[in-house]
Amino acid sequence: MDILFFSVLVLYLVAVVLQFIGAIFKKEKLLKAAWLVFLAGFIGNSAYMVVRGIAAHRLPLSNQFEFATAFAWGIALLLIFLKMKKSSDWLATIAMPAAFLVLSYAALQPKEITELMPALRSAWFGLHIGSAVFSYSAFVLAGCTGLRRILTARRNEEKGELKIQQMDFLSYRLVGFGFLLLTVVILSGAIWAEQAWSAFWTWDPKEVWALITWIIYAVYLHLRLRGKRDGNFLAWFVVLAVPVVLFTFAGVNTLMSGLHSYG
Amino acid sequence: MKKLYNFLRSMRFGIILLVIIAALSAAGSVIQQGQSAAYYATTYGKAHGVILMLGLNNIYRSWYFVLLLALLCLNLVLCSILRIKNVVKSAKNAAETASRVPDTVKLTPEGVKTLREHLKKKHCSEETVGDAIIYSRRNIGRYGTFITHVAILLTVVFGALALYLPRTADKTCFPGEYITAFDGSRIYVDSFRIEDDTGSLDFTSSIQITSPSGKLSDLTEISVNHPFSFGSLKVYQQTYGTAGSVTVRDPETGDEDVFVMNEVSFLSIDSVNGLWYEAVYPGYIKDENGEVTLITSSSGSYPDPIYKVQLASDGVYTPVLAFPGDVLRVGGLEFEFNRPVEYPGLRIKYTPTAVNALLCAAFLLMTLGLYITFFMPPVLVRTDDKGYAVCGPKGESMRLELKLLLQEFEEE
Repeated sequence: MDILFFSVLVLYLVAVVLQFIGAIFKKEKLLKAAWLVFLAGFIGNSAYMVVRGIAAHRLPLSNQFEFATAFAWGIALLLIFLKMKKSSDWLATIAMPAAFLVLSYAALQPKEITELMPALRSAWFGLHIGSAVFSYSAFVLAGCTGLRRILTARRNEEKGELKIQQMDFLSYRLVGFGFLLLTVVILSGAIWAEQAWSAFWTWDPKEVWALITWIIYAVYLHLRLRGKRDGNFLAWFVVLAVPVVLFTFAGVNTLMSGLHSYG
Repeated sequence: MKKLYNFLRSMRFGIILLVIIAALSAAGSVIQQGQSAAYYATTYGKAHGVILMLGLNNIYRSWYFVLLLALLCLNLVLCSILRIKNVVKSAKNAAETASRVPDTVKLTPEGVKTLREHLKKKHCSEETVGDAIIYSRRNIGRYGTFITHVAILLTVVFGALALYLPRTADKTCFPGEYITAFDGSRIYVDSFRIEDDTGSLDFTSSIQITSPSGKLSDLTEISVNHPFSFGSLKVYQQTYGTAGSVTVRDPETGDEDVFVMNEVSFLSIDSVNGLWYEAVYPGYIKDENGEVTLITSSSGSYPDPIYKVQLASDGVYTPVLAFPGDVLRVGGLEFEFNRPVEYPGLRIKYTPTAVNALLCAAFLLMTLGLYITFFMPPVLVRTDDKGYAVCGPKGESMRLELKLLLQEFEEE
């Protein structure tokens, strides 16, 4: 199973390298090859999760390794979806490395399959953690879109205005999607917490940081609604919000102890 | 006064509140909450005075945090709920208002035709007002943010009630015994197990509740994630413990009794000679020299339990290790060691069920509101023979879509 995991990691890395070279030298064939390799990586990533799920007799989402693997898969899936919608060819160069880096983080985590502890054996497990995977993935892709927007605006490309508007809007849509799912994460987590620990909210560090992330994106949505900030500011906002998402995902479990310290 | 009112209902005020709440929450996650003053003195040195003075040791229950939440509620009421009248009114008069909006984009007649065909394909309803044709769709999208804000308000209110109203108590109980809850209900613990048939951890108690009025529940199994509700009482499988079990027998009379102990106890007839029970351990390791090291922790059932006791005889205390099945004699009594008894720690919570139900309803409403906000934006487009204008709230999606459509059309 480890061979499959590291194959996926290598495929993502190759895709990133090809994509970069293709983008720098504007070689269409290389970009196509990068995409095909990335798709192969995604299929491998999906297969790895299925195999691990079968081996563990549960959804493979219970610890940092499994979540990070699913997180990379979520980024790849959303990127493929956006590419299919033909609205985001320009996103791949920044989003592919994101999937690779998240999977690299997974590679550093313990990979043993462990039995699910009783507190995690719940019907809410899939909804709560599955929503978190897609929510975080959407926020990371929104950050990638923001970064691409900043770079595009600097280059002052021809026909750039409409492209920038598209990027702004895609960033907003991704934040909206992620925000809805983060809300589902927090609310389903609250109902689950009431069943498992007897309280909807315990101010556990993971809960607190999920709330902080939620507030940060709520502020973004409101600033955008007010329309008093320029697109560049909002693009920087979604880029700088990504470290908060990553801290909520990995930092809290690494640096703080609490009810969510499952490994 | 009007200035203050406008500020309290403003989005700016809402954002300021959210940022402060986020900052305080972050501080609360870094500074350990609810510890003793000595802990802060040891951990933070001179800064501990500031922490205690500002209440940073108990941020989430501090007066200023509660005040911030109250102000957020006020802001939500003023900015959203009191504006519903305007939202409904503008939704009702949407077509009429849109008909008065001048074209923002000029088009050729072919462009207008392409645009109208596209809007029809999008299932927009068509309405002619004067010389303008108004295309609209998903009017419900106008209410998304309103529904979301109401739901957030309800979540904060019912969440606070769910946080502060319940009375909870943690109690342990040996199988075969009762616990009395605060409302007088009696909870009978019939049995408890730590592992299932396959050896996987599975903390399960079998309980039965008798309400103060005498109403009896069924014998029900509770486990982690599966509490049992009976009226306003909810019983959770919270923790567990393992207690030593010793059968004490009087050889002369033949009387015997079983003692289950989870703390140091002295079993004796004359209070001088007898058995000091100290503890039961999950297992032990014996080295080559016969030295025994006791294992102090186990995640499941005790695999190889061992008792640590002292035999007290005429003021002489002899430490002894005993296994289940061993029989020791001292002070005219026989002490037979049994397998340890596992017992549950239950959390008993008394909460008005309506609060939980209303909070869950608020959760659903919030999810629905956000779904409508992000996935059902309203469409309102005014067209005439010379061009078009995208009107109403959340028109960005449509504006961009039409721009791309017309760009493709121009390129063709």
